[in-house]
Amino acid sequence: MPSVIEYIPFLMEGSLWTLSLVALGLSLGFSLGLPIAIMKFYGARLDAYVWFMRGTPLIVLLSLLYWGVFPALGVKIGPFETSVIALGLRSSAYQSQIFLSALNSVDSGQIIAARSIGMRERQVVAHVLLPQALRISLPSWSNEYAIMLKDSSICFALGVMEILTRARYISVATGSALLPYLLAGILFFSLTHAGTSAIELIYRRVRIKGTLGAG
Amino acid sequence: MMLRIEDLRKRYSGVEVLKGVDLELRKGETKVIMGPSGAGKSTLLKCINLLVRPDGGRIFIDGEEITSKNDVYRVRQKIGFVFQEFNLFNHLTVMGNVTIGLTKVKGMSKNDAILKAKEVLRAVRIGEELWDRYPAQLSGGQKQRVAIARALAMDPVLMLYDEPTSALDPQLSMEVLSVMRELSKRGMTSLVVTHELSFAIEAASSIAVMYDGRIVEEGRPEEIIRSPKTAEARAIFKGRLNYVLV
Repeated sequence: MPSVIEYIPFLMEGSLWTLSLVALGLSLGFSLGLPIAIMKFYGARLDAYVWFMRGTPLIVLLSLLYWGVFPALGVKIGPFETSVIALGLRSSAYQSQIFLSALNSVDSGQIIAARSIGMRERQVVAHVLLPQALRISLPSWSNEYAIMLKDSSICFALGVMEILTRARYISVATGSALLPYLLAGILFFSLTHAGTSAIELIYRRVRIKGTLGAG
Repeated sequence: MMLRIEDLRKRYSGVEVLKGVDLELRKGETKVIMGPSGAGKSTLLKCINLLVRPDGGRIFIDGEEITSKNDVYRVRQKIGFVFQEFNLFNHLTVMGNVTIGLTKVKGMSKNDAILKAKEVLRAVRIGEELWDRYPAQLSGGQKQRVAIARALAMDPVLMLYDEPTSALDPQLSMEVLSVMRELSKRGMTSLVVTHELSFAIEAASSIAVMYDGRIVEEGRPEEIIRSPKTAEARAIFKGRLNYVLV
């Protein structure tokens, strides 16, 4: 039997897939979640969408899309793309909540002041609300990164070649379970830690001067 | 007339806040509005720059009726508004707070906006050492003067002040009031909701007393303080006559 050590590069390569899933999933979640948050901030009723996405296990959503919705629509969408869509849709619900609470925490007096100098609502959002809300939301957003990174392992159910899928493969090929899964765990932990630390660094750089804890 | 208000009415969920307000303000004139809380003073100011839509009556700015206009953005650019709570943009420096309206609303170039900002910041006595500070790094008096500069930068034809010193201690109020007084003396048409009698006496041509959604009495500061005709005005000025005498 081949040794686990020989498979380490193969396992490491999985982190590229994992990171791609996360990067694309977060981007999709952001580009849907932010507009949802802004619409909700201005009173739109989008609760049903958010409830559905938050209340459904990821694996159910994956299965529903891959084996249910896409075949029913007659479209052929691969496991990787389906995973990105499922991760992104679910994340959009969580991200919309993150951004909504950040928008709500911007003092409403500033909105009125922005209107008072003649800003249109679009400008109020772009120049007053978002620059503050996005900064405020960074710490919670880093949470979302950590959650999605770990949840992306569920995409092994569709055979996406991410870290867990590869760990399973190595385990079968080598007959050893302890080391492959331990290494997979360490890899997930390292990626989570590296990513959240990077976001923390960004947060320190961009947070508004003179406010709590900032220099 | 820079500002003429006719029979202005506003109700919030069934409660009538403004019950027919008439008011006039000549170009270059400063008028003070006084009255108990809940009288409708703040709503009146917010109606004038259409932050609140009135339900009835008409408002004219410089002869032009604004209440029937849909271009609220253009109207608001012409009217400076100063808030009790300053409402500076927390994510922008002093300079950023003053220039944002110029660049984003007026479409001015960054350099022109900075030149204009320097001019108005000096006018409110905010020194160069403060231009790169963020609102959280300023005192209350400095914040309010920056807020005045932000409004002035837009070249308003009328300034509205909504209790500009109510959130400040007396010391800091003084520096804000003296800036406002200077602006008034230099001919800035101003409508000021305040409880500061000394400001009214030194800077205003008249005081309007507001009570329960109406202006119940109006007159020159010394006269109205010395011999108020209505019970509402008496309630406000009672025991404060010494302001006039000193």
